Amino acid sequence: MRTHILEQVPSLAGLYGKALGRTARAAAPAMLARTPQSTQLPAVRYAVEEVPVDAAHLGDYQRLLGEPGTDDLPAGYVHVIAFPLAMAVMVRPDFPLPVLGMVHVANRVQQHHQLHAGDVLRVRAWAEGLRAHRSGTQVDLVVEVAGQEGPEVAWRGVSTYLAKGTTLPGLALIETDDGDSRASAEASASRSREGGQMPEQTAVWDVDKHTARRYAAISGDRNPIHTSALGARAFGFPRPIAHGMYTAARALAAVGTARGPAFTWDVEFAKPVLLPSSVGFGLRRRETGGYDYAGWRQRNGRVTFTGSVRPAA
Amino acid sequence: MAQQPRNTTSGKATNGKSDGDKPAAEESGRRRNSGGRERATSGSAANRGKAPDQPRAAIIGSNRIPFGKAGGAYAEATNQDMLTAALSGLIARHQLQGERLGDVVGGAVLKHSRDFNLTREAVLGTALSPQTPAVDIQRACATSVEAVNVVANKIRLGQITSGIAAGVDSTSDAPIVVSDRLRKTLLRLSRAKTVPQRLKLVGQLRPSDLAPVAPNVNEPRTGLSMGEHQAITTRQWDITREAQDEVALASHQNLAKAYSDGFFDDLLTPYRGLVRDESLREDTSAEKLATLKPVFGTKGEHGASASMTAGNSTPLSDGAASVLLGTPQWAQERGLPVLAHVVDTEAASVDFARGTDGLLMGGAYAVPRLLHRNGLTLDDFTFVEIHEAFASVVLTTAAAWADEEFCAERVGVPSPGELDYDRLNVTGSSLAAGHPFAATGARIVGTLAALLAQHKEQHGGDEPVRGLISVCAAGGQAVAMILEAA
Amino acid sequence: MSDKYLELVNSGFTKKLAQQLGLPRPARLRRTNPSSVDHPLVPGPVVVLGEGADADAVAATALDWDLDVRRTIREGRIGALVLVLTQIDTPDQAAPVVTEAASLLRSLGPSGRVVVVTRAATDAASPAQAAARAGIEGLWRSLAKELRYGATGNAVVLREQAEVTSPAAVGALRFLLSARSAFVSGQPIEVGDATGSLPEDWTAPLTGKVAMVTGAARGIGAQIARVLHREGATVVGVDVPAAGESLARVMNQVHGLAIQADITSPEAPQRLIDRIRQRFGRLDVVVHNAGITRDKLLANMKPEQWQAVIDVNLNAQIALNEALLATPELSPEGLRIITLSSTSGIAGNRGQTNYAFSKAGVIGLVRALAPQVAQQGGTANAVAPGFIETEMTGKIPAARRQVARRLNSLQQGGLPVDVAEAISFLASPQSAGINGQTLRVCGQHMVGA
Repeated sequence: MRTHILEQVPSLAGLYGKALGRTARAAAPAMLARTPQSTQLPAVRYAVEEVPVDAAHLGDYQRLLGEPGTDDLPAGYVHVIAFPLAMAVMVRPDFPLPVLGMVHVANRVQQHHQLHAGDVLRVRAWAEGLRAHRSGTQVDLVVEVAGQEGPEVAWRGVSTYLAKGTTLPGLALIETDDGDSRASAEASASRSREGGQMPEQTAVWDVDKHTARRYAAISGDRNPIHTSALGARAFGFPRPIAHGMYTAARALAAVGTARGPAFTWDVEFAKPVLLPSSVGFGLRRRETGGYDYAGWRQRNGRVTFTGSVRPAA
Repeated sequence: MAQQPRNTTSGKATNGKSDGDKPAAEESGRRRNSGGRERATSGSAANRGKAPDQPRAAIIGSNRIPFGKAGGAYAEATNQDMLTAALSGLIARHQLQGERLGDVVGGAVLKHSRDFNLTREAVLGTALSPQTPAVDIQRACATSVEAVNVVANKIRLGQITSGIAAGVDSTSDAPIVVSDRLRKTLLRLSRAKTVPQRLKLVGQLRPSDLAPVAPNVNEPRTGLSMGEHQAITTRQWDITREAQDEVALASHQNLAKAYSDGFFDDLLTPYRGLVRDESLREDTSAEKLATLKPVFGTKGEHGASASMTAGNSTPLSDGAASVLLGTPQWAQERGLPVLAHVVDTEAASVDFARGTDGLLMGGAYAVPRLLHRNGLTLDDFTFVEIHEAFASVVLTTAAAWADEEFCAERVGVPSPGELDYDRLNVTGSSLAAGHPFAATGARIVGTLAALLAQHKEQHGGDEPVRGLISVCAAGGQAVAMILEAA
Repeated sequence: MSDKYLELVNSGFTKKLAQQLGLPRPARLRRTNPSSVDHPLVPGPVVVLGEGADADAVAATALDWDLDVRRTIREGRIGALVLVLTQIDTPDQAAPVVTEAASLLRSLGPSGRVVVVTRAATDAASPAQAAARAGIEGLWRSLAKELRYGATGNAVVLREQAEVTSPAAVGALRFLLSARSAFVSGQPIEVGDATGSLPEDWTAPLTGKVAMVTGAARGIGAQIARVLHREGATVVGVDVPAAGESLARVMNQVHGLAIQADITSPEAPQRLIDRIRQRFGRLDVVVHNAGITRDKLLANMKPEQWQAVIDVNLNAQIALNEALLATPELSPEGLRIITLSSTSGIAGNRGQTNYAFSKAGVIGLVRALAPQVAQQGGTANAVAPGFIETEMTGKIPAARRQVARRLNSLQQGGLPVDVAEAISFLASPQSAGINGQTLRVCGQHMVGA
């Protein structure tokens, strides 16, 4: 895999434009399942050597998510500033799956040590683990971030996406703990709150279009499914949906300082959070340390996401 | 014979502390902070926590205005209006006109930004000497019980010889603010230098940014209302609807009886036509309470078993309350009898945001620790006042106190014992009186001090007559306090 | 509560109109300015008429007050006329003084004063003297009705053991000359004996004294508290808990102590005494001002309407007086009891059988209490207001109110402060020789005595 060094992390807005442009050039019916041109992921790793942290931007994030206004970069914030590099990989012409309409099904962040606002970050991003899935094709976007502490990775994020209805020839259906979140996600989805093992409610979140707009402004993720009723309908959702990473990051914020400087933060997205809605949220301490969490539709108890924040082994 | 009538002039009242006060006070200050682990010793509780020549903090009297319902009698009254009224009644009752008191400690939970100096402004509107200083504090619903603690500690340290603790809240005149985006834009506008800059900023505003924002009393960290939080706690502790309604009924009956007995004649001054608490329902009954529909915990899979109703939850209220404290000497010099002394105080908090304990279970920690430190159990108290944020708070708190395992494992001290409900809130509490957040602590301290003095007067004896207070508060907090009859 | 009519006939176009129409024109009465009490005591010369040592003594007393004292006058406005008729043995001996007074009456200025100093007919040594003294009473009562422009006519009536120099006689003279007696007209103040002492400061005679006022939250009670405070007393205001807000406001104004209590409750007397003992260690004056009305024609009156009025207006003060007299150590200089009666109690009033019962009752009460409290140096007196502009009289229908106001020699209603001044006068140390009396503050109301 060769490394391609970029001057800066590209803006998501530009990347979406690019993705939309590509989609527009393709035939409309092919928007969600265009004819694959390749079964190979691009063998390229994008890198940016100096990513500065903007204090005002960090402050906006902290206020929106309820993170304390310190110099510590929340793990969710690192995702916000680094993930566009992975997006840049996804909008490459040789990326085998359609970017728009891909569903974020799971995310795992391993934070090895705490990054700070004063750090100049080094970011790497690539795609891996292209695999067949019962309802399409999954892929992992991996982002690694290092601070000034040294060459070692401080933060590693793996974002699992599902291209629904897209099948690529010659891919085996792989089920692994790490890569394929399908099994657990579906299990979560079918699990009702009465199932027993869900945490007791500790909070309720009112998530609406303003929340989504603010998160879109901060993250640059102005994917129309989050910000526009028309855009959402084009992708099969009755209303715009909340950013998955917003809900996961809010769960992380709820764990608060108890997460410590080094932890693994997992989330599985079972159902979208339609806007506006009341999200029930529960947090429960794990016997072995850390916290399990879950979010559900307050109205009917349907689980929308589950996850955990565990101390690094 | 007490003093001759005097011409009250400012400046003659305070600062009569003796030179011996200070070192003793400082030493006592150091003695604290060992939390619940400190070993209990025997001895009169009143003498604990004070060096031999440290002055006692005496509760001399109190005054509150009747508590109004939100949007009721005080709909047009501001916090400053109500606090001034409560202080004015206290001043008239104790003839404090022109006195320069050591300090007035007060606060409100829902506060307008213009009220940054609320207590001082209120003091300036009273007959007290304008040289009386004042400070605003806030510990949510425990604001004025904390204010009592602050004044008591200043007295015990010899910093002041007299002071007032007070609290006020209005849900009718709650502060409405502009949205965060509008506020930020306005601030940036004031900094913008050019017309295009300004136009650009204004252009960023959306219509929805212009809508006013009403205050939200939900827990900031959880978004859940107190009621929803307590609904979870209620279920976790298996508290029944019947038990909650019983607490509510007792509260109304006890408060109504206290009014008809004239108990509040010396504790309350009417305001704006209100002579009794607006929420008091003398004619309520178990049957009537049983007909009310649950309002909290009604959603989700446990909705069917929801038990918290408008009848066993406190109503939103407006009101103010105040307590006069001083050294026994200060009181004696003015011919003011002392009702009770402040013995000790404990604040505690729980980790509610991560689900470890219920939001309003702070009292389950504060009281066992406080009693353990003072070598006391619940049996040592003639009266117990638990703030009735909800009827079920009383029940879950008392259940936790009686739970040996809970106290040992979570609180780290022995259980203080079983609560005798006959000693609880004997003249009613927040369910019947209402609960203007920051006023409740002073209401309870004033009421309990009067109860203790009355009991001592009626029964005499040398045995200490003690009262216990537990007030839960937002943020998982609680303050517990021990009073002893003078 | 303001008297619109009085305003209209005293200002602008409506003043002229009233003059032309010959409408009654009540005068604006001179009242005490709280910021300059008794200054001037009398606005104009004081002419002392009469022969003999008593007249000389009265003139000397007035001179002591820095008044412009004359024994006669040729021209100019007169502030007050004092007729000293104490040394008269026959009706004819009054004539020279009366003739002199008659020639001066037209010179009497607005809110002028005519004070007759006389002796009680009942104490007369001979029938002729009795006739002369009784005749003098007829004289001043009638003269008071002839006075105009807010002038008043009253008498200081000395009993056997009193002299014109007795503190109470001096005090009564000063009270009647001053603006404090603005609404007192056609009334005698009877001086029983020479007890009492003149105050060091006439504008603060109650300095060092503690005075309890029931019903102090509003109206006349609040004004009593203010005047007692002005006169130097420390005031303890008592009112029902429901009136606590205004009670606190009034007490904070007068730097007094507020006690919320229902005076009809059996525990009330002890509670009040305990509180006052703790706070002040003494009580010098009690003003029984608390009162209620439950007006009904007797035929329509319910027992509870009758009883409520008797309980508050009469029974409560009987109980409180008993408790106070049982604790004499609380009043080392004797207790001054002053109770509120009413012209309704003297003359009766339709629809007020219960109220009149209670108000006549207190007249009997103070008469009986007088010798008892005198043993400890105290006094018991009543003040009987006529029509006073208060919240209570403000509820009388407008037409009836207008009539009621004019039914007295001053052709207007009094103010609460007028009642308060009389009470303060009776509470003061110089008034110790006035006991068992009922002083009317009614502008010489047409009905009753």
